[in-house]
Amino acid sequence: MKRKSFILVLYFGCFLTLTGCWSQKELTDLAIISAMGIDLTENGEYASTLQIINPSNVAGGLQGGGAGQGPPVSIYTATGSSIIEMNQRASKKLPRRRYYAHTNLLVIGEELARKEGITGILDAIERHQEFRMTAVIIIAHGVKASDLLKVLTPVDKIPAKKIIKNLRFTEEQWGEVFTLNLQDVKKDMTAVGKSPVISGFSIEGDPVQGSKMENVQTSDPETTLSATGLAIFKEGKLVDWIDGKTARGTVLILDKIKNTGISFDWKDKKDVGTFQVIRMNSKNIATMKKGKPKITVEVKAEGYLSEIRTAVNLTDPKILIEMEDTIEKTIKEEILLAVEEGKKVKSDIFGFGQVFHQNHPKEWQKLKADWHDVHFPELTVDVNVEVYIRRTGLRNNPSVLKE
Amino acid sequence: MEKAKIGAYQFFVLLLLFELGSAVLVPIAIGANRDAWIAILISTIGGVFLFLVYYRLYKFYPQLTPSEYMEKLLGKFFGKILAFAYILFFVYISARVLRDFGEMLLSFAYVDTPLFIVNTLFILVIIYAIQKGIEVIARTGELFFNLLYLLAVIGFILIVSSGLIDLNQLKPFLEQGWTTVFKVVVTETLYVPFGEAFVFSVILPYIKDTKKIKYAGIAGIVLSGINLSLVMAINISVLGIDLATRSQFPLLTTVQSIQIAEFLERLDVFFMVSMVIGIFFKASIYFYAAVSGTTILFKFKEPSKLVYPIGLVILFMSITIANSYSEHLTEGLDLTTRYLHPFFLVLAPVFLLAIAYMKNRKRKKK
Repeated sequence: MKRKSFILVLYFGCFLTLTGCWSQKELTDLAIISAMGIDLTENGEYASTLQIINPSNVAGGLQGGGAGQGPPVSIYTATGSSIIEMNQRASKKLPRRRYYAHTNLLVIGEELARKEGITGILDAIERHQEFRMTAVIIIAHGVKASDLLKVLTPVDKIPAKKIIKNLRFTEEQWGEVFTLNLQDVKKDMTAVGKSPVISGFSIEGDPVQGSKMENVQTSDPETTLSATGLAIFKEGKLVDWIDGKTARGTVLILDKIKNTGISFDWKDKKDVGTFQVIRMNSKNIATMKKGKPKITVEVKAEGYLSEIRTAVNLTDPKILIEMEDTIEKTIKEEILLAVEEGKKVKSDIFGFGQVFHQNHPKEWQKLKADWHDVHFPELTVDVNVEVYIRRTGLRNNPSVLKE
Repeated sequence: MEKAKIGAYQFFVLLLLFELGSAVLVPIAIGANRDAWIAILISTIGGVFLFLVYYRLYKFYPQLTPSEYMEKLLGKFFGKILAFAYILFFVYISARVLRDFGEMLLSFAYVDTPLFIVNTLFILVIIYAIQKGIEVIARTGELFFNLLYLLAVIGFILIVSSGLIDLNQLKPFLEQGWTTVFKVVVTETLYVPFGEAFVFSVILPYIKDTKKIKYAGIAGIVLSGINLSLVMAINISVLGIDLATRSQFPLLTTVQSIQIAEFLERLDVFFMVSMVIGIFFKASIYFYAAVSGTTILFKFKEPSKLVYPIGLVILFMSITIANSYSEHLTEGLDLTTRYLHPFFLVLAPVFLLAIAYMKNRKRKKK
């Protein structure tokens, strides 16, 4: 009997301790933050923008029927002298508990990135046990992070999700921008021979108009968000923006491109053909020649011709080989364009220094100290491109063959 | 000494779980920077030699636990003092391991929960296991061994297939030369976790098939060494040296970076489970050694009655041992691995072995 009652007490003890409601968080008490933006205010403080999901307005039409009444996200802002402080201050306005585990996007205002850099800000986020290092980071190009997060977007209702998917698919299909998470940024920033490049996003149209529901109620939204170029960092601070071919060349060296279309000239006619890349990879090889560092960028691209608007006989393999040479030159130009830009701002965004560190550790000790300012701008960069045109799509010759 | 028998395979499993224990969770050998994995591999070889020392000692007295043969080798007085010192050492390390557990859990999951509650709940489980005896612990080990390896293999496949591993991060090899690597080996990794296998001297007399002990032990140490080295190499190649050094628990950060197909992510539970399993066995075996030592030294008839008081001591020690996690870690490096481990895990056993050799030679002459 005594034993039985003891076991009973033990059971109740377990009920009390094992239910796990020590610091329980009810779902209805959570403010799920989908994105966080950080800006610099005029008086030098930080301003944070929290994009919070309104669950009832996101749910599909079949489930609640109430979707579409209000905006899918709400914005809360606060200012403070530290990241944690201002976010906690935001709880004065928030009816719920802030929940960071689903924060997939961090937006840094351009002014903050230029003036103060991003090194300090990331510390609070790294240390936080709720925040994920796999969150994507972007820079608000020419606008404030708060304005960027206010814009409502069609198709993908949650703006943070739209931005992330936008980046991912652009990276896969075109290049110019790429997804970079906080961990990657941290890795790049701490490596001596590499500076981070972070994709930028900007607002097209009026930011105020973009924050209204009308923005998503038309087929042609007045205000949209679009990826615009890459931000080059040096010593943790934003120094320059690159765009277009320069940006794609950079992404190419970083070996992030999967598919892209490369336009090339053919016999004095500008941009008449397009080479669709299916597989592409690049490799940086470091060599030392008489104490001088040298980098060889080796690119291999494989694909097919997806467009040709001039008279050319594509059934002739010799012509295709000739065409491969032209495309190789085009890619090489793009890469050199990017390298020149990097050299101009004296920031090794390609990680060439890292390659030296990994393969020539002894020589690197001498180069390390002023790699970005002295050795990188003087670096000899060779580019070897190999292009293979495997097929020409569903047609052989273009219809403009006869001239 | 209780009447129990465990098999050689069970011993192998226990040794492996014990070695992986907390070592797989914290950044071991990180003093050697990118070459941490080399340092671990070298320590494994050292660990095998240390194990052979412990094994030779066991061979001299196959029926006796360390506290018993210490008396025979050093005489009653000194033998008892050394045996007592070992009990204190085992209790202290057990408390340290328990503290590790609490700190890990509090750092990343149960931020609001007091350390006392977490440690109490865990020590209750350990007390229960110890009371059931070594046979039950060994069988639990067999069960969890499969679970742990299943998780490890799945985790490994996930990390590889998410394309996170960048082997270039491990380059350049030996940037600071062999001296740094050997310094780390001699001051840290040789003892934690490989030298710690000395605790198993308490368990060796229980093993049935005595012929297999040597191979089971060596296999356990070599396999755990390879595993630890692999984990550290993966950590560094995924996180880069800076993040791996700055992370309190690099394995957690590595597991957190897994992202596959938009839904296979946030697998923190992998880390949680391996942590609970590893720490459970490490703390239990130290605890068991302390209980067994006390039983023999003070000639207790019922060892199970000793479990509660010693458990309580370990619990309170684990909380009062340090004010902060940093203090706990510093104490571990500056005191435990610098003075306690070399003495209890290397010097004392080697000294005992030397005496055992001399005594036996005399006996043969007679």
